[in-house]
Amino acid sequence: MTTTGSETGAPITDRVRELVGRSSPFNTARDAVNEAMIRHWCDIIDDANPVYTDASTASASVFGGIVAPPAMLDVWDKPGLHLTRDPSNPQSAALNLLDAAGFTSTVAVNSELEFARYLRPGEWLHSTLTLEEVSDEKQTGLGTGHFVTSRLSYSVGDELVGTVLFRVLKFRPGTGRARSAAEKPGPDPDPALRPRPAINRDNQYFWDGARAHELRIQRCNECGEQYFPPMPRCRRCGSLSMGYRVASGRGSLYSFAVPHYPQVNGFRYPVLVGLVELEEGTRLVSNVVGCRREHLRVGMPLELCWLDSHPASADGAVDSRGAISLPQFRPARAARHTETRRADAVAPGDELPLCPIPLTTTLIAGGALATLDYFDAHHDRDMAQQRGSKDVFMNIHTTLGLCERYVSDWAGPEAWWRALRVRLGAPNYPGDTMTMTGSVTAVDQGSGEATIVFRGTNGLGDHVSGTAELTLPASERSIGAAR
Amino acid sequence: MTAHRYAGATAIAGIGATEFSKRSGRSELQLAVEACTAALDDAGLEPHRVNGLSTFTMETNPENEVMRSLGIPELTHFSRIHFGGGAPCGTVQFAAMAVNEGVADYVLCYRAFNERSGRRFGAGVQERPAGATAEEAQFAWTSPYGLLTPASWVAMFATRLMHEYGVTSEDFGRVAVADRRHAATNPAAHFYGAPITLEDHQESRFIVEPLHLLDCCQETDGGQALLVTTLERARDLRQAPVVVEAAAQGMADDQQMMRSFFRDSLVGLPEMGVCARQMWETSGLGPDDIQTAVIYDHFTPFVLPQLEEFGFCGRGEAKDFITGGAIEIGGRLPLNTHGGQLGEAYLHGMNGIAEGVRQVRGTSVNQVGGVDHVLVTAGTGVPTSALVLGRE
Ligand SMILES: [Zn+2]
Repeated sequence: MTTTGSETGAPITDRVRELVGRSSPFNTARDAVNEAMIRHWCDIIDDANPVYTDASTASASVFGGIVAPPAMLDVWDKPGLHLTRDPSNPQSAALNLLDAAGFTSTVAVNSELEFARYLRPGEWLHSTLTLEEVSDEKQTGLGTGHFVTSRLSYSVGDELVGTVLFRVLKFRPGTGRARSAAEKPGPDPDPALRPRPAINRDNQYFWDGARAHELRIQRCNECGEQYFPPMPRCRRCGSLSMGYRVASGRGSLYSFAVPHYPQVNGFRYPVLVGLVELEEGTRLVSNVVGCRREHLRVGMPLELCWLDSHPASADGAVDSRGAISLPQFRPARAARHTETRRADAVAPGDELPLCPIPLTTTLIAGGALATLDYFDAHHDRDMAQQRGSKDVFMNIHTTLGLCERYVSDWAGPEAWWRALRVRLGAPNYPGDTMTMTGSVTAVDQGSGEATIVFRGTNGLGDHVSGTAELTLPASERSIGAAR
Repeated sequence: MTAHRYAGATAIAGIGATEFSKRSGRSELQLAVEACTAALDDAGLEPHRVNGLSTFTMETNPENEVMRSLGIPELTHFSRIHFGGGAPCGTVQFAAMAVNEGVADYVLCYRAFNERSGRRFGAGVQERPAGATAEEAQFAWTSPYGLLTPASWVAMFATRLMHEYGVTSEDFGRVAVADRRHAATNPAAHFYGAPITLEDHQESRFIVEPLHLLDCCQETDGGQALLVTTLERARDLRQAPVVVEAAAQGMADDQQMMRSFFRDSLVGLPEMGVCARQMWETSGLGPDDIQTAVIYDHFTPFVLPQLEEFGFCGRGEAKDFITGGAIEIGGRLPLNTHGGQLGEAYLHGMNGIAEGVRQVRGTSVNQVGGVDHVLVTAGTGVPTSALVLGRE
């Protein structure tokens, strides 16, 4: 199906498709690959892989020196603040035509990075873009529009170092399918409607602590024995002098229950209720937040966060019972794997540890700027809202960086990236959490090539899904040989 | 060695119940009085001979009102047991102690409520007052997080059973299938004529994961009463005496009210273990001497650790024990032959004691052959109680 363009009468699809196969002139990046931008990127992505930043570790590694994070491949040639569409670039020309035909909204949907080799500081990157495909007009969830696919080729001198397939959807605003009631998450339930804890002299210490965001464990002032739930007398030494210690907030999921019915006010159903074992040894019941039902596993690491559930005033009057804060637990980020996994230690079906990524405005705005993406809706809330977005939203290059970090933290510092392919879905807005999950789908024990599929979900659904292809050392010997 | 003097010297001489329904259409007090009257009729005893009453602290029908309406002139014993569904066998124990000590001659144990059409337990525990009692304050550790109902409390244990012992939802389902098979042939059961399959169980909606709807007992309107007296007096009444061979209560270390989440292990029921030890020591019997059992089944998961606590199988082995129809009529240990609380009615376990009595008398609609001894248990996850009933 095609739509008739308003000005020339020729179908817009045909006019845009005339550009397919054309390539842009070579573009040279404004700056050489450099350690300052790499460090800036690693800071915001929170990627601690030392081969990107630490010269001595990097030179002792399989890379033989500092390399740029592969996910930065299509960052280096970005124009920065002064973005203009160069009509000699066939993608820009296509987007301009589609804008004029009313397909004024743009959203990135796919990015597929293939790496021929790693980039090193000092290298000047050249790129050229070829317009590969313009789809028929399609009805998508966002609206009716065309998918525009381009391929960027990156080279250093005459050497091809990588390619990027990049697909955007250009669509008419306001033509999206209405989301069904089931898809709509609805407003967040008001936590003040949850049952309040019944507070008395025995448990006052706990709720006073919670108000100060301290998770307190009752402890005997005489012998140090600790208890939960609290008791007025130490059963070990007989003391009536009971105090508390403050928990670190680290723990693991001992058991869980997921209520669906009956549904009471103040909760979003199904509710994730966890029995959390603190590293100090006591347990407590709490909610698991920042992940979904399918992410729950007995034993998963958790960390404390807080919900200020009940304000000190209700209906304009001061509530004599005071404010209530509830301890909550979110999945804890697993420690970075500092040894590189060997191919023979990995098998299809292996699960990567779940990883929560808190979506802050700093991460979203900082990530956009660190990837030289100055599109205003990524860093300027006012502009984002003028464009009809509820808030700033994450750019695709930050997402690529977070995906790379997630897989690298599991695979280890010397895993050799071959490709990173992602598909984008629901936007990442501030205040949400994106939870990464992944698993190994294939390992070639001969070559060490491994494929990992991953997914990042937020409160709206899947933000990103994709695959990572990397080469793991096949054995101890091969690491040495590569060095 | 536990020696309970009332054990073997006391008996259940009468049982009586109202119909079990979803809407009784009458007051809870009337249900209590009707059930007591039925138990007295069953025994052939005039109400004025009763001088003891034993019930639950949760019971809303006070002894004085039951006494007035039954025409009991005076009471020398009245006792109540705490902790909800943990109480039923405890009321029989208190009654047995009272009659054996000569404190009373005939004691009625009763429980009646409009649990379906009136205040539903499944609706959950919500707002609790400030300045709470120690009992109310316990809810502070669970209610603000959405863990509000008995089903949700049991679910936390069920997840752990699945994790540690490899128990599956289908294993829980086998309990429901057995109960509903037995209910299907019991005209008094709510689910008379309505057996279920394992597929039905698996397809029923989640109430609190991992519990499906068909893992959860019903909510019932009704009343059940039992008449307890000495074995000697029971011999003079209408029915053959059903001997209280053992009766005990149990509460264990770090006990909470259905929320004993803070113990080292969540896969056992140590309070039921306290009962089991007393059952076997008092009666001199063991699991091999039991032909059929009424195992408390407000929710299916806790049936499994009960079988382990009483030694019908080893730790973690209940999931294997219950396969292949072992807990259905014709199996090694038919359970809940009245249909249990999942199939007959949820009368806080009191209807299960009545079924134990019928099995000993030989009058159950799903009669097991050659019954000498029946085990009956009370609520799980709570401080609890148990009975062994037998023939004289
Ligand atoms: Zn102490």
